[in-house]
Amino acid sequence: MIEVQQLTKHYRVHKRPPGLAAALKSLFKREYTAVKAVDGITFDIKAGERVGFLGPNGAGKTTTLKTLAGLLHPSSGQVRVDGHVPQKREAEYLKKIMLVMGQKQQLLWDLPPAETFEMNRAIYDVPRADFTRRMKELGDLLELGELVNKPTRQLSLGERMKCELAAALVHGPKVLFLDEPTIGLDVSMQVVMRDFIRRYNEQYGATLILTSHYMDDVAALCPRVIVIDKGTLSFDGKLDDLVQKVRPEKRVTLRFSQPVTREQVSPLGQVVTCEGAQAVLQVSHDQVNSVVGRALATLPVMDLNVENPPLEEVMSELFARSRANREEQAA
Amino acid sequence: MIGRSLRALPALVRVGFVESLAYRTEMIIWVFSTTMPLVMMTLWTAVARSVPVVGGGGKSWGTTAFVSYFLSVFIVRQLISGWAGWEMYYEVRQGTLAMRLLRPIHPLLSYGVGNLAALPLRAAVTLPVIVVLFATNARDHLSHDWHVWLLFPFALVGGWVITFFANVAIGALSLFMESSVKLMDVWLAAFFVFSGYLFPLDLFPDWLTAAAKWLPFRYQIGLPVELMTGVHTWESALPLLAKQWAWAAALIVASLAIWNRGLARFQAFGG
Amino acid sequence: MGRYLGLLSRQLRTSALLAAQYRWDFVVDGVVSLFFMATAIVPLFVVYGDASRPGIPGWSFGEALVVTGWFILLQGVLDGAVNPGLQAVIDHIRKGTLDFVLLKPADAQFLVSTARFQLWRVTSVVVALVVFVIAFSRVGRAPAVLDVAASLVLLVSATLLLYSLWILIVSAAFFVVKVDNLTYLFSSIFDAARWPSSVFPNVLRFVFTFVVPLALMTTFPAEAMLGRLESSALVGSLLGTLVFAAIARWTWLKAIGHYTSAGG
Repeated sequence: MIEVQQLTKHYRVHKRPPGLAAALKSLFKREYTAVKAVDGITFDIKAGERVGFLGPNGAGKTTTLKTLAGLLHPSSGQVRVDGHVPQKREAEYLKKIMLVMGQKQQLLWDLPPAETFEMNRAIYDVPRADFTRRMKELGDLLELGELVNKPTRQLSLGERMKCELAAALVHGPKVLFLDEPTIGLDVSMQVVMRDFIRRYNEQYGATLILTSHYMDDVAALCPRVIVIDKGTLSFDGKLDDLVQKVRPEKRVTLRFSQPVTREQVSPLGQVVTCEGAQAVLQVSHDQVNSVVGRALATLPVMDLNVENPPLEEVMSELFARSRANREEQAA
Repeated sequence: MIGRSLRALPALVRVGFVESLAYRTEMIIWVFSTTMPLVMMTLWTAVARSVPVVGGGGKSWGTTAFVSYFLSVFIVRQLISGWAGWEMYYEVRQGTLAMRLLRPIHPLLSYGVGNLAALPLRAAVTLPVIVVLFATNARDHLSHDWHVWLLFPFALVGGWVITFFANVAIGALSLFMESSVKLMDVWLAAFFVFSGYLFPLDLFPDWLTAAAKWLPFRYQIGLPVELMTGVHTWESALPLLAKQWAWAAALIVASLAIWNRGLARFQAFGG
Repeated sequence: MGRYLGLLSRQLRTSALLAAQYRWDFVVDGVVSLFFMATAIVPLFVVYGDASRPGIPGWSFGEALVVTGWFILLQGVLDGAVNPGLQAVIDHIRKGTLDFVLLKPADAQFLVSTARFQLWRVTSVVVALVVFVIAFSRVGRAPAVLDVAASLVLLVSATLLLYSLWILIVSAAFFVVKVDNLTYLFSSIFDAARWPSSVFPNVLRFVFTFVVPLALMTTFPAEAMLGRLESSALVGSLLGTLVFAAIARWTWLKAIGHYTSAGG
């Protein structure tokens, strides 16, 4: 469905150094620097997949998404989506895709969302019957109800985002690019959006690429993740494998019937926290069984829980490592 | 607040000036959009080529008189311009006004300094026009009375104050209503007609000339230009200057009142 | 084609709904429209005085009034159909939502240029007609049917010119960072079109005929209406308009290419 080979995207950025003298100088002569936003990325995505793009700010996630959507021309490399070259922006292609940007909106600010839906129906040339049916489905899935008839400016951020999604799906895109779709939403609204996105993917078989700052979004939605860091691809595979690779340890949380001391717990493994009647241990993957066994035998354990370390930690460790790698190479 | 604002003043001016340099293309666009006096100059010189045009007060306008008048208009227009109204309108609409309110400097001061900081560049633009004005025979139609030239800076500052605070007043109205930008258009249209921007005011029918005397627009451009082109003596200019500053004071009071009320509303409703 | 007509009617409907959203604005808008049309006529009265002044060489008051009529008509087109769209593009660029327009499977130029209309400006047509009637009663005769037909052809080409000029300015908006001044620039340059182009010295007349073809928008149609435009000028201005429109379209495509290749 989506094939990307050796994609690079370089920007020319006008340097604007601070200071009065520099400003006067730049009146006559401007200096430019090349920024490598994306620097040689290759991946394939099959139809119906849900893929998460992970990476720190400025890693090149949004640039890659915009290139896939045909909004940016690649500096070099091949991009094909469902047989199309996105940058040609053929009407055929544009009818198959949609880009949703959490920080920007296409809804007409002063009019009810229903008007934007109608506008998009006209633009995408969707037959009336299809439109009515799809709007009903979307309305049910997203619980839009009367929202669509209130002026957009009167909607809350969460309501607006729901309508924003509906407007993006009027033409039933086969490929959906989601750039930070849950940004700024409260936790319950994030869950609603996630559920909806997954159901849309399952019901319509749409291919989905998502970037998000919220690791929970990615964990809940994307079986596969692609990690982009400084414009290069540093991981492509299952989320679990990523966690395994970066942090092979598990977190074992123990709750006791009475307070224990750190000295009592430390023989079991590396102690992350130990407060009152609860301790968290970091244990390597293959040691989990024996550690749990010993803990049950030696300590007053009431309850225990084994899980992966939090994704945020995994990611920050991953990025810290790759930064260290780069510095090593530079030195 | 005032003390801190004053201490921040040099930095504000510098940032504003650097900003005006960075947006040089925009500056050129703006200058192009203020070339109307030059268009009007060619028009009126064409009209006056065969027979001088006689104004309501009996003044006879020949071609060079028109040239020196409209060159002066161009210069004054560059120096008294302000656009705080538009800035306020956009900031209210986009909600970025809040950022300005967060700074520990009076917002009106930061607008004012921002507008003033573009002056050096504008003055540079007017330089060739000033050279033409003083080096050609257009000079003959400039005031020969140095007392009048002493008053000129006051008239210029007065013109700027009127422009800026009218901008503030209308811009602050956007805290109440969406259509303040249209009011700005009305103000501008009236300004073009009644300020002397399109033609010397004595060419109006008498009743319109009389009306223009009581409107603020003439004191933005007309008065400084009239001083430059020697229409007034030192004695006849003083009462006009007094009227100009009365308008300036009235607009300061009115705009501050609108701003404060609007701000209270903005803070209560969150815009 | 049918699809684009449908789109156009949808966009017009949106403009109407927007106008209805802010009723107070709608009223203000009407008043502003009338005020602008009034200020369009005032300068002419000042130039001609109470018939005591010679006025513009080669143009009687009535004839110059025909030019003013065309100016009012085209200012209506400018403020009603062209400037609101320009403002819409500028808003898109400012908010970074132009991407949404480029994602749509319809011509982006069509989408942005039909995005907004100021419906009030339709009144300009009525006012212009009144001005024409007064003008020709001053001239002392009615315009010939063929001359009116020629001027209507020129109306179409003038609208196309105005629109092409607009496309050029919008294209500039892709390269300039702060774009607020662009609509203002456009309106103020257009203001020179209220005068017969013969008042300008040769250099300026050349600019207003071939570079920023304001003369083709008001002076030429007025001369056609008065029956004194040579047919070669008519044909020439039509051809020129087509060239201008082609350049504008080409520039627009370049600008979009620049926008997507440089990245916003």
